[in-house]
Amino acid sequence: MSTVTADSSRYGRFMTGLLRITLRLDTFIHTLYPTDFNPLYYTGGLSNLFLFILVLSGIFLFFYYEASLAAAFESVRYISDEVPYGGIIRGVHRYAADGFIVAILLHLFRNWFTDRHLFSRDNPWISGMFLLLFGGLIGFTGYQLVWDERAQVLTTMFLAMLRSIPLAGDGLAKIFMGGVGIGEGTLVRILFLHIVPASTLYVMLWWHYLRLRHPKVWPPGVWVLLVVGLVFLLAGVIPATSGQPATPAARPTSFPMDVFFMVPFWLLNWLSPGAVVVLGVLLFVGGLAVPYFSRRETAPQMGVRHAGVAQVIDGNCTGCELCYFDCPYNAIVMVPSPGPGLSKAAANRTLLAVILESRCVECGICIGACPFEALELPKFMERDVRIEIAQAVQA
Amino acid sequence: MQAFYGVGIVLLSGLALAFAAGIIIGEATDRWYFGGALVGALLITYSFIILLLRKMGVIGPRKAER
Repeated sequence: MSTVTADSSRYGRFMTGLLRITLRLDTFIHTLYPTDFNPLYYTGGLSNLFLFILVLSGIFLFFYYEASLAAAFESVRYISDEVPYGGIIRGVHRYAADGFIVAILLHLFRNWFTDRHLFSRDNPWISGMFLLLFGGLIGFTGYQLVWDERAQVLTTMFLAMLRSIPLAGDGLAKIFMGGVGIGEGTLVRILFLHIVPASTLYVMLWWHYLRLRHPKVWPPGVWVLLVVGLVFLLAGVIPATSGQPATPAARPTSFPMDVFFMVPFWLLNWLSPGAVVVLGVLLFVGGLAVPYFSRRETAPQMGVRHAGVAQVIDGNCTGCELCYFDCPYNAIVMVPSPGPGLSKAAANRTLLAVILESRCVECGICIGACPFEALELPKFMERDVRIEIAQAVQA
Repeated sequence: MQAFYGVGIVLLSGLALAFAAGIIIGEATDRWYFGGALVGALLITYSFIILLLRKMGVIGPRKAER
């Protein structure tokens, strides 16, 4: 079970500061975009959009790609130079991959800073960490598939990392290469490691959405157009290119860096392969543990009111189910009404809303969803809102 | 402000038309990167047109959100 320790430590104050910065960023964006177009509300949907672009462009590239040491580089060159718009699609695939990681990281940080990883939301956080891990692996194997000098160096470095794993390292390296050295089977395996994890991302997305009733899986049309347009524009203006073809005799010592997928390899400039593997494992495990070791300030320490778990005002509930459908956390269930409500609208109800307190995150969405004033946050009443508005107007 | 948005939409529409012409030219001359980049530019222009339409109140928000 998720736990949150409330204290006013330096870390707690730091996280409150990040929360306030995030909310101020929202306020700033709302001066440029209408609230329903705020891209930071759709970072998950944007990740999905990038993934969809990657799948479509990947299918196109798959038709032309040949996974063999002798033909891989040439097939990529053929796609870029000979296939009509092949270079554009390759570029779209490349830039959508970067966009995918950027959108995931934005999604991660936003949900972290706004406490949306705690309590009942630990499941999306954990599944999200796996999505990020798999996304990184898929991107890295994508660079290998080009089979240029960079791919060759990356493969050598990756094998060094694999071999640094105690006991299983040599065996894993052999499985990865398809033999004792890099051979004809290696690129087939890399292609497998590129496509199969990409397919499993959709299974992980199902896991990601498991406890969410209304996940925003797709951004508004304005952002779909902008994002698709941006990757096409970048693909045309800064085409994705290959380096020199890989040759066994070549010993390149440097290659173009991609900050989204190659940071672990960049660290090899200073750290041993084993240290990079340990660092990666620690980061991943630490990421998984974040929801369970969060130290947040209490509402009074933050200088905000504590709203308390939502409550149904029995007499006003009409059983309309609006709150039930709007609650993103499945915290409201509809039960057969034991009797009529007190208000005129509730006189003929057949259902009654009931709050599952363990799931309520006190967000107040149900309050806005209910047109009959049948829900309230008991520590934050309508009169409190009116008082705060009056004070704000006077100020 | 409405007039400002209206002028913006007209200008962007003109720009979109130019990009569409560019796409045809790119296709006719086999300049695929040029044509592909203009497809992107066209879509971005459309996105800004939608944004201005939204700011004008011509489209959205959904009825339930009003």
